[in-house]
Amino acid sequence: MKYTHEIRDPIHVFIRLDSDERKVLDSRPFQRLRHIHQLAMTYLIYPGATHKRFEHSLGVMELAGRVFDVVTDPDNVTDEIKHLLEPLNAPDNRAYWRRVIRIAALCHDIGHLPFSHAAEKELLPDDWDHEKLTREIIVSDEMKTIWDSVTPPLRPEDIEKLAIGPKKATDIKFTDWETVLTEIIVGDAFGVDRMDYLLRDSHHVGVAYGKFDHHRLIDSLRILPPAQSGEKGESQEPALGVEEGGIQSAEALMLARYFMYSQVYFHPVRRIYNIHLTDFLKEWLDSGAFATDLESHLKMTDSEVTAALWEAAFEEKIGSTHARRIVLREHFKCLYRRNPEDVSINPESGELVFKALADQYGEEHFRHDRYRQKSGAPDFPVRMRDGRIVSSITFSEVLSNIPVVSVDYVFANRQFFDEANTWLNNNRRTIINKPEEEGQDG
Amino acid sequence: MDRMKKAGLLTRLIEELRNNGSWCGETHVQKATFFAQELTKIPLDFDFILYKHGPFSFDLRDELTALRADGLLKLEMQWPYGPRISPTQQSEYIKSLYPMTLKKYETAVAFVTNRLSNKGVSELERLATAFYVNLREDKTSVDERATRLTELKPHILQEEAKGAILAIDKIAEEAETKFSLLTEFDD
Repeated sequence: MKYTHEIRDPIHVFIRLDSDERKVLDSRPFQRLRHIHQLAMTYLIYPGATHKRFEHSLGVMELAGRVFDVVTDPDNVTDEIKHLLEPLNAPDNRAYWRRVIRIAALCHDIGHLPFSHAAEKELLPDDWDHEKLTREIIVSDEMKTIWDSVTPPLRPEDIEKLAIGPKKATDIKFTDWETVLTEIIVGDAFGVDRMDYLLRDSHHVGVAYGKFDHHRLIDSLRILPPAQSGEKGESQEPALGVEEGGIQSAEALMLARYFMYSQVYFHPVRRIYNIHLTDFLKEWLDSGAFATDLESHLKMTDSEVTAALWEAAFEEKIGSTHARRIVLREHFKCLYRRNPEDVSINPESGELVFKALADQYGEEHFRHDRYRQKSGAPDFPVRMRDGRIVSSITFSEVLSNIPVVSVDYVFANRQFFDEANTWLNNNRRTIINKPEEEGQDG
Repeated sequence: MDRMKKAGLLTRLIEELRNNGSWCGETHVQKATFFAQELTKIPLDFDFILYKHGPFSFDLRDELTALRADGLLKLEMQWPYGPRISPTQQSEYIKSLYPMTLKKYETAVAFVTNRLSNKGVSELERLATAFYVNLREDKTSVDERATRLTELKPHILQEEAKGAILAIDKIAEEAETKFSLLTEFDD
């Protein structure tokens, strides 16, 4: 019986998985990811961007295994942190956690809604997001059958922890060891989720911005104590860091992230398509939101939504107005975007512009899109050649100077675009004004 | 509390930490904000979980990043240590727009910064985690709470944990007298 399976991949050449991991690949929740676009409707702007969550998840598994092997290699673990990472000291434990991290990486996106992030925020109940759906699937009976059949059996709560991480699984306590493992998958600095999507998205979109030397970077990753703080009694919590020789690859990763965000992910036309899609789904879905029961969730993919959009664009149906904006490319155009002058008067200038235009012409003809970059330049430990551990941001002038991406767009219906543009230019000074203090608690 | 008002308060808190001698890296700001919100009841509305060096808010991390994008905060480098967070000249403008709010929470900001500015990361980690244990765990005796603290942060020794619990009990008692009336009045 064949035990190792190879899958061809444009980014990692071969992705290898064993028969136990293959069970996850063949499961219904994972196969569904073949029908969820990684970048929502970005293919309407960059035609090559038709790749799916399926191959991204495989890529994340491949990279998670590689990083795990490097950072837990006994030659790469120093005595100063060994005692803080108990599971490293037993070979069986190491094998167990290697299995868990690869499976968690494979499952980290399993709860994604149709078109990934495009419409998630507004179309799920308040306390739901795709991470919560991912957790529900991981602990479901359907998947538990697989976890029990693996040798040795896997604890679903371990997979759940590593796949989600502390940012989204706020009800779970993480040990130092588990925290480091979650950093390998979803960490802000060297999470392989980000490594894979930058490489894969840039490949499919057809831009070079997202590429960086991930081979060199992964080879230089280490679990390190925190950077020296110069204060008495420094904290000892370990974190994922890098050897001095890998700092340029780390800089390239962070620059890739900056360029992909500013050039691709926050492309204004991509953003407005997401908004039109959300508008459509609010009308088309029963009760105006996605169902959160697993059966309904697993039945809904991009395919069902695309078919409905197509139909609604050419016949008078629920959501036709929004469907036409997408299918016939009659999307709203970007009328306003934030700039340093306006931000210096009021950092929320887009909201002021949107409200003024809505008052003047009617809210239905405008859309406001505000997005602030999550986290900043990650401050991770760097082990210098002389053995000292220092802060990455202090060590690298590049990392300390990478700009923060912040988006504030107002889009207008094409029908009103020219008139609204002239009106905005004539009234800009009175619209964009300083915030006022209304009550002491806001 | 609206975002810009919160920005005014955060930049004031950071300014006061620095004025009182804090290194003012992200950990110092995280822990000071945790105490400002949970102990002195400034309604900043950040979600704190137990993570890096004790209570930590990803929302706050995102907001600190956003304030850099808005030109209200900047990072200062000082080799070989981690970056320091510093308010910019532009933050003076934002603070000037909210005089009543800043006045209202002036005492609370001073209470927190006076007690925390001279603390390093490891001491802040112990104190903040001790307070986290007090808030969320149904434990009564000092020893019980100290043990719980060491369970949550295994690199902290039992004696250190006990010292942190005693220190936080004292600070919390002072805060209770000073700020509980303010909270009742606000509600």
